[in-house]
Amino acid sequence: MVQQAISERITPRDLREGGAARVLARIRAGEGYYITNTERDLSQSDFKNRIMPHTQILVSKERNDAGYLSLEITGGASIHVDMLRKQINPLEKLEILSSLMPDTMFQTLCRGINLFGYRPYPENVIRLTVKSFAPYVHLWRVFDFLNYIPNMTAVFEEVQKAGCILEPSICFSTGPEHTDKFYVGKVGEILAVTGDDIILCIKNHGGLGSSKRIGDLVKSILDRYPDLIVHYHGHNTDGNDVGRIVEAVRNGAKIVDAADHAFTGFYGPPPILTVIDTLDEYGHRALGINRQAVVDTSNKLRPQREYYKDLESQFLGFDPTVQTHKLPGGATGSSFEQAVKGDFLHRMPSILQEELPRVQIELGNWWSVTPGSQILWTTAVNNVLNDKRYKDANDDLKNLMLGRYGELPFYKPSDDVYQAVFGPNWKEIVQREKGYQKIEDVDLDVEKKVLDHRLGRAATEGEFVLYLQHPNDAVNFFKFEEKYGKTWVLPPCVWFNKGGFTLGEKFEFSDAYGKHHIVEIGPKQTTKTGDAVVYLNINHHPEPILAELQQEGEGKKRKVALSAKEIAELAQSGDVRSPIKGTVSEIPVTAGEEVSAGQILIVLEAMKMLNNVISEINGVVAEVLISPGDAVDVGDPIMSVEKKV
Amino acid sequence: MHMMAGKSIQRVLVANRGEIALRLIRTIKELGLEAVAVYEKPDKEALFIRSADDAIMIGDGPRKDYLNIDRIIWAARKSRADAIHPGYGFLAENPDFPSACAEAGITFIGPPSSVIHDLGNKIVARKIMEKAGIPITPGTGNIDPGEGGAQEAIAFGEKYGYPLMLKASSGGGGRGIRKVEDAKALLVQIPLARSEALHAFNDANIYIEKCIENPRHIEIQILADQHGKVIHLGSRDCSIQRRHQKLIEIAPADLPADVLALMCDTAVLAAREAGYISAGTVEFLVDADTNEFWFMEINTRLQVEHTVTEMLTGVDIVREQIMIAQGAHLDIPEVRFHLLGKAIQVRVNAEDPRNDFMPEGGKRVEVYQSPGGPGIRLDGSAYQGYNIPTEYDSLLVKMTVRGHNWEQTVQRLKRALNDFLIVGPKTTIPFYLAICDEPDFQRGKFTTSYLETHPQVFKYPENRREIAKLSQLIAEIHAKKINPYAY
Repeated sequence: MVQQAISERITPRDLREGGAARVLARIRAGEGYYITNTERDLSQSDFKNRIMPHTQILVSKERNDAGYLSLEITGGASIHVDMLRKQINPLEKLEILSSLMPDTMFQTLCRGINLFGYRPYPENVIRLTVKSFAPYVHLWRVFDFLNYIPNMTAVFEEVQKAGCILEPSICFSTGPEHTDKFYVGKVGEILAVTGDDIILCIKNHGGLGSSKRIGDLVKSILDRYPDLIVHYHGHNTDGNDVGRIVEAVRNGAKIVDAADHAFTGFYGPPPILTVIDTLDEYGHRALGINRQAVVDTSNKLRPQREYYKDLESQFLGFDPTVQTHKLPGGATGSSFEQAVKGDFLHRMPSILQEELPRVQIELGNWWSVTPGSQILWTTAVNNVLNDKRYKDANDDLKNLMLGRYGELPFYKPSDDVYQAVFGPNWKEIVQREKGYQKIEDVDLDVEKKVLDHRLGRAATEGEFVLYLQHPNDAVNFFKFEEKYGKTWVLPPCVWFNKGGFTLGEKFEFSDAYGKHHIVEIGPKQTTKTGDAVVYLNINHHPEPILAELQQEGEGKKRKVALSAKEIAELAQSGDVRSPIKGTVSEIPVTAGEEVSAGQILIVLEAMKMLNNVISEINGVVAEVLISPGDAVDVGDPIMSVEKKV
Repeated sequence: MHMMAGKSIQRVLVANRGEIALRLIRTIKELGLEAVAVYEKPDKEALFIRSADDAIMIGDGPRKDYLNIDRIIWAARKSRADAIHPGYGFLAENPDFPSACAEAGITFIGPPSSVIHDLGNKIVARKIMEKAGIPITPGTGNIDPGEGGAQEAIAFGEKYGYPLMLKASSGGGGRGIRKVEDAKALLVQIPLARSEALHAFNDANIYIEKCIENPRHIEIQILADQHGKVIHLGSRDCSIQRRHQKLIEIAPADLPADVLALMCDTAVLAAREAGYISAGTVEFLVDADTNEFWFMEINTRLQVEHTVTEMLTGVDIVREQIMIAQGAHLDIPEVRFHLLGKAIQVRVNAEDPRNDFMPEGGKRVEVYQSPGGPGIRLDGSAYQGYNIPTEYDSLLVKMTVRGHNWEQTVQRLKRALNDFLIVGPKTTIPFYLAICDEPDFQRGKFTTSYLETHPQVFKYPENRREIAKLSQLIAEIHAKKINPYAY
């Protein structure tokens, strides 16, 4: 039995030595099904993407022994969050984990042309990025939020060129347009581009549809393409993903997604063991799996969960209404987080159950997944919070409606929606600007020089690739790392601490270079300037460390909350204030430049969407008060424009 | 050492500060005697005061009262000290100091006033050596301040060739030396050197020596008792210098045995000719190619780098000085003169080598952790919480390591330097580490121009410790009660 389990198992070595086609032949011939441990999706859906490297390293041996077909450990929003909130280089993370888990294939989730970000990247950036991640990532799940095949072809080509396993996806949703016929047709479109040596993913990011619906879909696809390997991916938001998985496997799916039960929540994948044991009753065997290692993983993970409690969703519990609002599991936690930060948590029922479904139908009933889910969500939130629906539509929605991101699959929004978004001249605007947007290649040499300049040193190739994904957040991370070192070695009880530590609290860890340290918390004093001196007993030696604290009140200008009306009035006088809380993404103008009313002054990023700050007057830019990467709050002064007389 | 019926010392006043004061106090205690420290006000927190049996504040300083003979004698009387050890620097080579001690009935632990006087004047010293047949570099007597002096200088330059060294007759310790490349520069430099000498040494006399290019700086430690016995304790190589200030000292010098033996004999002869008593150092310049050597000067004091000799010989030079001062006969077994192994001393200073060794005065040593283990000796004045003085030198600690051969000793030096943990000021440690990794140093090949010819040793990495970075974040999380980089 044990012997058999070993021979059924597929490892990176099999891929390296036999190639993708032979690995796929083994999966196809296997008498049973394989499991992907979707750690990344669990982390993203139920822990705001914050499961730390320390925890991943802790269970690396058990997970490696468990015999999964793959471990989904990167991609999606994780590359951004790795740098933004976990302060680890996503490539370094893969390097470390792959050295600890040599027998497990790693899987990524790639958004096609939107790669690991939220909007289309130039093709040369896409190709370079795939090349940089390919050494660590064996299995590439690729999707497009419009199921628009041309948005994925560059990634397809690079993945196949790199000798990795390609797993194109059909994004799944429900409604009258979402028929088996439609999806089987999409599979045909994919196969026409990729050839037969792929895995096909049914990407059910919302956990939508009944068990029967999924079983029927798998059957329809396999009836048409009997040799195709189907990988079912779902979310347990309504509490019934095990049911869907069972029906997917009973109808011929060869790979399914699940996660370690010690960390399973409500919006991510269901527990692995439940899947294994349920399918066992039906006579379907999980191939390559070492059941005890799956149990051991969770036994070891369980005590860690308490450190993550602040990252779990504000609402705990399954949400069967997902069948109505269709929010993907990966966006649920962050949506609630925004609702809390934006103080509109009480309006969530109406946003989720009324406005979001309405917007979805109005805009074309395509798939609520990145970046489409953000467009739908932001639009619905704005519609509810603003007095007028579709007012101040962001560029992403406009681009989508202009067809710049690809063809809408079923129907176009109504004229009323176009008019609400583009204004009275909407017809003219749409006529002028519509069409698929081909993103021009960037000059990589120039971009590299810009990065080197911003860092004050030569960036590595890996750093450059990360910079191309998220320029400002990547630079901030690189600077963080220079100052604070490789902090991913810190345990989550340190990283997520709230309220400070207790006197005498002790942490033992080894640094990224293998040196063992003990740090004990000593007394804390306040300096005359209001900063703190913290005494740490570092490796048995007391060391005073100055921690600068931002002084609120006296030292700094007290913040004045401005209303939208006041901000608009100030803008008329050239005092440009931030209308939202967000991050400065781009400043297309410079001091001294002449600007005219309607011209874009600053691009702010919030909720992953870009928002333009427009000049209300004709004048000259007198002063730019912020830089790319700066965080701004509502009412913060960001620029001044002198009115032309 | 046999005690003669000399004056018995009970209580020794240490007329110095910093690491050397502490070093002297340690031997005084080992001898079962009492130690009295004196200090200027800025030194009131100094470590050496904690070690002494009594301590007297001698004034507000800085660098004024340590030089004030009357104040020191006053302190000795007040504390009933019967002997004074001057250490190095300050009053150590002032011939008036032993005289003042004698007048006050206090034993001066060092050479007699006349010897300090004669050897302190470089012209006189050269004459003594010349008479004894000891090789000296070609040079002049005191240069006449007028036109005659200028002519003499030009003539000397024509005879022996350039470059030449202009030296203050009363200078020492590498100070008061100017190198001139040609006749024109010579004429410009003479008046400048003269006024500098007057300012620094209270003696405007200067003389000219032929400059030996890229020499090695080798010195012999000698001990002489009051009864005419003179011995040597072997050699030291002090070639690695910065503007004539020694940085790294090594014992013994890497020279053929016959050359070393001849130098040691010459040093003993030189000391004898000078009527030397107590511990002293005979300095030579050695041609790096031919091993030809010339007498340079005799330092009439305990030297900073005496530690390397002590490490190799096991002889406590300060103890011998105190015994000699009491009239004892030297009887160190001859086996001690044959040095086994290697010793290296580095001066760990709170300085920024990259910024022209700018002292880090005013900074605080937040963490001070020093190495230990086999073959390590530390003579220091720093501690956790030590404020680097702006008034005095920036020496934190002298580290001397001993090993059985050059390679092992360099490895030990490197290990011990890496074991230091000094947080707060910049130090010379990364600079020394770069030297440890430099191939010529590793081969033992260096002259006085080492730093000029190996500028790469200044390109050391200035990495912060990884744990210091991580601790910075832990401290900030603690102080802010949240990790702003996680949420």
